[in-house]
Amino acid sequence: MKTSKMCAIFSNQHEYSHLKPLTDERALSTLYFAGKYRLMDFALSSIVNADINHIYTLISQEKVRSYLDHLGGGKEWGLDTIGSYEYLDFYQNLMRRRSRGENYFDDLILFLKTCKMPYTVFIGNKMAANFDLKAILHFHQSNGNRITPVFKRVEKDNLAPDDHTFVLSDNNVVIEQREAIELTSEAPFNLSANVYVMDTDWLIHELEKAQKSGASYDVSERLAVLAVKEKANAYEYTGYLRNIHDIASYYQANLDMLEKDKRGSLLYGKQKIITRIRNEVGTYYDKESDVKNTLISTGCTVKGEVKNSVVSRRVNFAKDSVAKNAVIMANCKLKSGADVEYAILDKNVVIEKGVTVKGKPDSPVVIKKGSVISKDFVLD
Amino acid sequence: MSTKMLGLILAGGKGTRLGKLTANQAKPAVPFGGRYRIIDFPLSNCANSGVRNVGIITQYEPLRLNNHIGNGSSWGLDGLNSSATILQPYTDNGGSKWFEGTAHAIYQNIDYIDSQDPEYVLILSGDHIYKMDYADMLAEHEKNHASLTVAVIDVPWEEAPRFGIMNTDSSGRIIEFEEKPAEPKSNHASMGIYIFNWKRLRDVLTAGFATADDMVDFGKDVIPYYLKSDERVFSYQFSGYWKDVGTIDSLWQANMEFLDGSDGLALGDRSWRIYSKNTIDAPQMITENAEVTDSMIVDGCYIDGKIKHSIISANVDVQRGSEIVDSVIMPGAKIGKNVKITKAIVGEGAVIGSNSVVGEENGEIAVVGNKEKIGVLPNENK
Repeated sequence: MKTSKMCAIFSNQHEYSHLKPLTDERALSTLYFAGKYRLMDFALSSIVNADINHIYTLISQEKVRSYLDHLGGGKEWGLDTIGSYEYLDFYQNLMRRRSRGENYFDDLILFLKTCKMPYTVFIGNKMAANFDLKAILHFHQSNGNRITPVFKRVEKDNLAPDDHTFVLSDNNVVIEQREAIELTSEAPFNLSANVYVMDTDWLIHELEKAQKSGASYDVSERLAVLAVKEKANAYEYTGYLRNIHDIASYYQANLDMLEKDKRGSLLYGKQKIITRIRNEVGTYYDKESDVKNTLISTGCTVKGEVKNSVVSRRVNFAKDSVAKNAVIMANCKLKSGADVEYAILDKNVVIEKGVTVKGKPDSPVVIKKGSVISKDFVLD
Repeated sequence: MSTKMLGLILAGGKGTRLGKLTANQAKPAVPFGGRYRIIDFPLSNCANSGVRNVGIITQYEPLRLNNHIGNGSSWGLDGLNSSATILQPYTDNGGSKWFEGTAHAIYQNIDYIDSQDPEYVLILSGDHIYKMDYADMLAEHEKNHASLTVAVIDVPWEEAPRFGIMNTDSSGRIIEFEEKPAEPKSNHASMGIYIFNWKRLRDVLTAGFATADDMVDFGKDVIPYYLKSDERVFSYQFSGYWKDVGTIDSLWQANMEFLDGSDGLALGDRSWRIYSKNTIDAPQMITENAEVTDSMIVDGCYIDGKIKHSIISANVDVQRGSEIVDSVIMPGAKIGKNVKITKAIVGEGAVIGSNSVVGEENGEIAVVGNKEKIGVLPNENK
């Protein structure tokens, strides 16, 4: 069944050391976000919401388990239907081949040729955003572009050091691109959303050229350079976008979901965000519970106080426990009298009876996956 | 590939006593417990018991039910040698095949059952809330060399006259069946769950309809016939929670028992999960103005009001100043501002305009129908 004019390259290449320990055992793509989601759900939902079912996915070979565990057979995203085509590759593979002087883009080129789609979209893994790729394709076609980069006007706090920003002319033609780390100018910055819609034939040609000249295997970097070379018209994304690259940006992005407009833009848009199905029972709020301003997933039991927090599935808040300004991942337990504030609790964390875990608004405490905390931990 | 035991769920009933809630859908499709529909219970029990092929017999208003069941993938019934098949009445050269009773519905679907070639058929109702391991029941059926096994549950003696009562001997063999006896001799009530040896049942049904001794209903015709012909009919004693949610009162009550945990169903127990079709919804948002106590809420909800001892199903909006007490709000309902809902069931997609009052504390259970509109809802975004 042919449903789209696009195929997709989904790059899960980005990893940030500043997100440790949250990404010790999992890829950035599979980091919990907004309670029940993983970061990759956003890019992947944008892809399938545009009826794209041919996807070339680049992942890190070290973090393959968490990725495959979440994606499974791709059923939730409708990627298990006849005519769907998923191709998984490791970016280490590209690195290795390049260092051996081999043709490192051959698999990608073969994928593009096999799909026979006139257009290709490239999308990265770390931006929490909800892209309408069909609208971007429409813009691409009506501008007669060969490559259409997508950007968002942001403040400095929404930039990671390795991000690309564009210098644009008055009518949004890309004049120059810079890495965020080199920036000296003033905000706002035109952050590359790491989303590009391209003519497939042109992309194949450029990839062949690139591997002949031994250019970087980093497709995203290459595309930013090509956008300048092609003097492309850029598409401005005006919805919610958060760039997840360190603990602060991750924490803030989660708490953003407590704000009506931001939550509405990301989660209640016309395109739904799809994630893995877990068949949890509803969340139970006890007679003593006191919950305010909180986004909470199913399967939880709440007997304590939860305020200004984002909570994933199957979390247990015992009587007299308190959680404020916290991001709590799946299956955590706050025992009676536990007091958690300005903190990120990774999956399966247990806070023992009467224990206090307290960070600060600008530097939340991060508790590693599976930890059992039995002593107070308070940041001065 | 033959099937050892084929599941057949009778899901064609109208459920007249549920009034407005079944005006546009079959009873088994009625929502339960926030994120389930009643039929999820027999379907999940089948999946969890290793009954891998299930026919769902529908007749009355099947649209929602068919949509919910799809190809059975939500219950894992779409694998190899596994299937969920929706069985609708159809016409052939012999005329139309509307179902006139429980046994007649099986008779009309003989072609389907033969195609599955089962040794046993498991007949289930689509309108009961319970968890049960049918593999256990089959083991007992085989051990007894039974031709028919009927699952029974002991009900309070004073309620026994409302049920079909099975009188058994010391070995558990059923020797007498009384439909709603005024003076019951036992309190073993039939749960409407049967395991039949298919070959024998097939003969009984075809011979009956061929000789004008119509086998229309299991309770009225088939079981009495089996007893009369001295077939080996055994009871299977069940002792967990089991609730027929055929009336507004019992539906409301079953929801409240589920909320209070007094049913012992423990739906959070991951070893015997109740599966359901998943709607793609965001997590629930409890706002600064909300007050939620002793309640259950599921995905997609936006709660800006006060919720007390209630179940709020998927995608329900409750606006500021509203108060919901002792109620069940079904999926997609929109509740305006300063609404007061007490001891009520609000149907799917119902719209309750601002300042409305529904139900009262000491009254009968109030019912708002599916998609029913009360008052005017201001147009407000989340």
